[in-house]
Amino acid sequence: MGHVTIRRVWLKDFRSYEELELDFTPGLTALLGDNGNGKSNLLEAIGFLVSLKSFRGAPKEALVRAGVDVGFIRAELDDDGREVLIEVELKSLGSPRVLVNKQRLGATRELLGVCSTTIFSPDDLSIAKGSPSLRRELIDDLLTAVHPKNEVVCDDFAKVLKQRNALLKQCNGRLSSDAQLTLEVWDERLVEVGERLGGLRVRILEKLQPLVNDYYTRVSDNSRPIGLAYSSAWRSSGMAASLAESRRDDLRRGISTVGPHRDDVMMEIDGMNARVQASQGEQRSLVLALRLASHELIRQATGTSPILLLDDVFSELDDRRSAALLGALPKCQTILTSAVGIPKGATADAIYYLNDSTLVEARSS
Amino acid sequence: MDLVVLAASSGVEMADYEQSIQELIDAFGRLPGIGPKSAQRITFHLLKSDKAESERLVSAVSSAVHKIRYCEVCFNFAESERCAICRDENRDPHLLCVVEEPRDVVAIERTREFRGRYHVLGGAIDHLQGVGPDQLKIRELLIRAAEEGITEVILCTNPNIEGEATALYLKRVLDIPGLTVSRIASGLPVGGDLEYADELTLGRAIEGRRTLEQ
Ligand SMILES: [Zn+2]
Repeated sequence: MGHVTIRRVWLKDFRSYEELELDFTPGLTALLGDNGNGKSNLLEAIGFLVSLKSFRGAPKEALVRAGVDVGFIRAELDDDGREVLIEVELKSLGSPRVLVNKQRLGATRELLGVCSTTIFSPDDLSIAKGSPSLRRELIDDLLTAVHPKNEVVCDDFAKVLKQRNALLKQCNGRLSSDAQLTLEVWDERLVEVGERLGGLRVRILEKLQPLVNDYYTRVSDNSRPIGLAYSSAWRSSGMAASLAESRRDDLRRGISTVGPHRDDVMMEIDGMNARVQASQGEQRSLVLALRLASHELIRQATGTSPILLLDDVFSELDDRRSAALLGALPKCQTILTSAVGIPKGATADAIYYLNDSTLVEARSS
Repeated sequence: MDLVVLAASSGVEMADYEQSIQELIDAFGRLPGIGPKSAQRITFHLLKSDKAESERLVSAVSSAVHKIRYCEVCFNFAESERCAICRDENRDPHLLCVVEEPRDVVAIERTREFRGRYHVLGGAIDHLQGVGPDQLKIRELLIRAAEEGITEVILCTNPNIEGEATALYLKRVLDIPGLTVSRIASGLPVGGDLEYADELTLGRAIEGRRTLEQ
């Protein structure tokens, strides 16, 4: 994967769009317009193109325009001067079809090899406020993005855990000697991959922390220290000992009660728990800093910048902080949406105004 | 525009076929690796071509289904009580290779690296599919290991989660004095099936197997 940028996107019957074609600059493109005019849908299309997932968590079938059976996203990308054409056919029934340079795509992973994105959306606030699973997902996605090998660890852990839970459920609270032998086998595997996954998460958080501090200072305009700590009930005594200790409980409840799948990331601003003690503005800055820090970590690890997609970043920032944020953005292709325009004094390489999912004005500066 | 072509070719028409044609399409469609379009193509090919070709297919399917059963010793496919490999006197009786499925026997035979005999488990431990050790031919394996004078068992289950767990389980239950238990060497694509490994890779993996510590 070289230096990849999006040159042109063509949508047909995607979400609110009947048809749209847009050119993007390798620098900053701003999509402007009042809310409800399709800006986020466009960003969602670009995100989908790369990950085959909606960053709003929408089911694939919901992406086709209402009343139509098939929708399309098509994009021309530039990969170090080589043109890459990605075509996605979305169906209101059934799974999407993807062609890369007219070739059928086997696995999602192949598409991730073409290009990657960092997405910030208003929903990201739930990373600071919501359940631990969202924070685990953020870390595991980051692990996968910095090295594809890490995805194998995440997948293996999930599979072993499912098997162990299925066995526990079948045991119905009682452990025959044969089931015990099988459970020991799964415990051995769970310890092996669980320790590896826990270690990976701790190490990547250590790398993330200084970057988050740096970006938090820049986007929030104050320099209060950010703490990121991996919170785990099993790491101090080790996975093997913790599993042995929880076995009776696990059997009784028919589920694995300790392990990386129950861990969390504790986020602190100036020593205060960010989940419960920070204001919404602080939480928003923290999550934005987390996204930008992840972006930078991926760039360092892979040597190439993901494309930055920022949905509605300015809505809760004043002009000065918005301008500060723009100044702090990494030098890479960036596409952002805003309902409040772009901050005074700042410039974008291309500006598009959208109204009712139609392009009404294009301007480049 | 190409996308329009893509759109036009994507839908499989739901025409009303004669019932016997539909039944045949459905039957092919249930086979692994055959989608609705291929099922339709195969059906129309058979109906269009010489009747003798279809008759040959029917008799080949019918005779295989009637003749083939499981080998009473190793649970590979066989045409009589014992399979060709178990009947072969030139095979090393001290060496036993444990695999999940009969197709894995074929994959390993192709490498020409292995001159022992086989034991087919009939799958791997997979609690999500309701397969525990009891559903596999493990009891039979333990009897063979105790009675046939076997000195080495090579665990050739697939290098995925279920296959690895099955190998770990077998390692524990095959704790028999004088018996070496080894695991096929890594280098095989992780998460894959033996079936899809190329002969050279699989051959090296068998050669480079490692003894498992008890
Ligand atoms: Zn046999």
